[in-house]
Amino acid sequence: MIKKILIIDDDKIFSKILRDGLLAGGNGKYEVVSAFDGEEGFEVAMREKPDLIMLDMMMPKVTGIEFLKKLRNEDWGKDMPVIVETQLSDMEKMNEGMELGVRGYIIKSDYSLDTILRQVEDILK
Amino acid sequence: MVPFELLLVIFISVALYIAVVLFSYIGLRRMKRDVLEQGRDAKRHMYEIAILKEIGDRTGYSLNIQKILDVIVGSLNQFLEYSAVSYMLLSPSKIVFKVDLDEPVSTQFIKDIRTRMLSSLSALLGRELTETEVEETITGAIMQGIPTGPVQSYFNIPLVIGEQLVGVLTVSNTKPGLYKESEMEILYKIVNQASQAVTKLEEVVKTEQGKIAAMLESMLEGVVMTDRDYRVVASNPAAKLVIGHKGEGALTIFDFIDAFKGVFDVRSKLEEAIKLDKILTIPEIFFGNKYYQVVVSPVKSNVGLSRGEILGGVVIFHDITHEKEAEKMRNDFTSMMVHELRSPLGNIKKIGEMMRSSKVLEDKKASSEYVSMLYESSSSMLDLVNDLLDVAKLEAGKFGVEKSPVDIKEILAERVRFFDTTARDAGINLKLFVAGVVPDRVSVDTKRIMQVLNNLLSNSLNYTSKDGTVTVICFNHKNGLALGEEARAYSVPWVLDNMPVPATTIPDSVVIAVTDTGEGISIENIEKLFNKFTQFASSVRQSEHKGTGLGLVIAKGIVMAHGGVIGVGSKKGTGSTFYFTLPL
Repeated sequence: MIKKILIIDDDKIFSKILRDGLLAGGNGKYEVVSAFDGEEGFEVAMREKPDLIMLDMMMPKVTGIEFLKKLRNEDWGKDMPVIVETQLSDMEKMNEGMELGVRGYIIKSDYSLDTILRQVEDILK
Repeated sequence: MVPFELLLVIFISVALYIAVVLFSYIGLRRMKRDVLEQGRDAKRHMYEIAILKEIGDRTGYSLNIQKILDVIVGSLNQFLEYSAVSYMLLSPSKIVFKVDLDEPVSTQFIKDIRTRMLSSLSALLGRELTETEVEETITGAIMQGIPTGPVQSYFNIPLVIGEQLVGVLTVSNTKPGLYKESEMEILYKIVNQASQAVTKLEEVVKTEQGKIAAMLESMLEGVVMTDRDYRVVASNPAAKLVIGHKGEGALTIFDFIDAFKGVFDVRSKLEEAIKLDKILTIPEIFFGNKYYQVVVSPVKSNVGLSRGEILGGVVIFHDITHEKEAEKMRNDFTSMMVHELRSPLGNIKKIGEMMRSSKVLEDKKASSEYVSMLYESSSSMLDLVNDLLDVAKLEAGKFGVEKSPVDIKEILAERVRFFDTTARDAGINLKLFVAGVVPDRVSVDTKRIMQVLNNLLSNSLNYTSKDGTVTVICFNHKNGLALGEEARAYSVPWVLDNMPVPATTIPDSVVIAVTDTGEGISIENIEKLFNKFTQFASSVRQSEHKGTGLGLVIAKGIVMAHGGVIGVGSKKGTGSTFYFTLPL
């Protein structure tokens, strides 16, 4: 069964690389949808009900944390798996995310597509 | 026979002689008396000086009137004859009555002067004083059981300090007929000078205390001073503010101990400072939403014998909230900058990784997509690095411009043409207005002015939505006129709102402005526009609009290096006008 992954990130280049990487690495197992800010991300999540969300923490309008809080308030979103993309320096946000049931982290400046693919596969298994 | 004439001559001569001798004698006597009187005056004067000097020496700069009176009383017998000299002094809790006897007197004598003095004091004060308040001390000649005469001579001098009656000084005698008013002049003088000295000294002390109090009151730092037993002896309004004390009354150390519970132990820090004679600095405490640097220091006496002795401690609260905020802003700026540089760099690395896989290279469309992504990422990095470099140069004061005469009108036309495609893509109407009077040649650094124009134009286009208008305006400004008025004369769009200076002081210049019909800027954001830290931070948060956010900071630097000014007027929902001037 094809799993749906939602990438919410305002960095369009990163988003595209991640998308291409997931599509190529997943060998047809994954379908990827993208949103470019938290507000749009929430709408897409509600509509598409993805199996996994890759969430950037530093975004305009609705930030990652705000998005997470909103998501966890919804019946359909309270158990939705989320991987967040952060900076190494953002320990504070990591802890905050942990409390909101985040399943994994990507350190944005230091990511490897292989690690991400393994992480995603692990969660979606 | 002696002729009558001769007798007459002899008689006249003798009479004259006698007259001369007589007059000489009288004159001499008068002279002698004068000399004696002068001698007495001199002696008196010497005495006066001596006693005043003694008062000065023995009391120092004392404010203690009783001590001064004791000195006067103790040295008065060199000058006056009396049975007793006494003073009665008002103090808050009692009436001090002190008698110094020069000869033995009866108890009745003392009782008598005591009653007399008390009633003169009552009369002078206009209120009844009671015997029970009086505390009596007797010194000098021992009183004997033998009855001596009653008070026969008596003289009172009121003691006035700072226009206030503080007591009376009395000389009394068992002999009658002494102490005529005219003879008491010296005593008056002495007492007067002593009271004047005290009055003046009190004034000095009051002024000094007033100065210190005023200084303490006006200090921005919270100051609390305690004695060695940690009792608060002085504190200022700023200290009240620190602990949020609203009441009127004086503060106690417990107000501070309670307020800082769990944050800062005032009592033990004071103890440490006083006992170890050490100045302690607590670099930072966070209290009541503010940051304070706290200094706890022993207070030492710097006068007299007690010099160097620790009298207590002082705690000073220095509000460092602003510094902390600035520091946070700097840190935010740095981490933001690192983030902005690292993201595209990380992306470039990843693009390379992706392109290494043959799949991407085989697909022509994907391949060209990745190449343009590479270009975009590296350009945005380069832009940022260039901007940061410019800002660094500005801050180091090494930002120079190379001016040469150019056709500014042509530059404007060229830039408008350049941005026209972008404008048209966004559905924005881009216009140019140049007033006829603008000179053909203006001395500028073309590259730098183009940089300013690029920044203003791309900002305006970014913040203006479809069907909006962006107008580039250029006209001559005359010193003394307001830019807004001049723009109105040309009927060009000009947003005046929130423009800080009525810019009539600007010298004759060429004015270049960009007015848009965009979303406008709120007042608080206008203030941040030209600030490196805040501008950068907000631009990152609003990354839907491209740019490093440092553009305006740099534009300001460029315009200033040309001797011009840069400014903005804006209204939410109406639009903005960014202008800068190039002096002619």
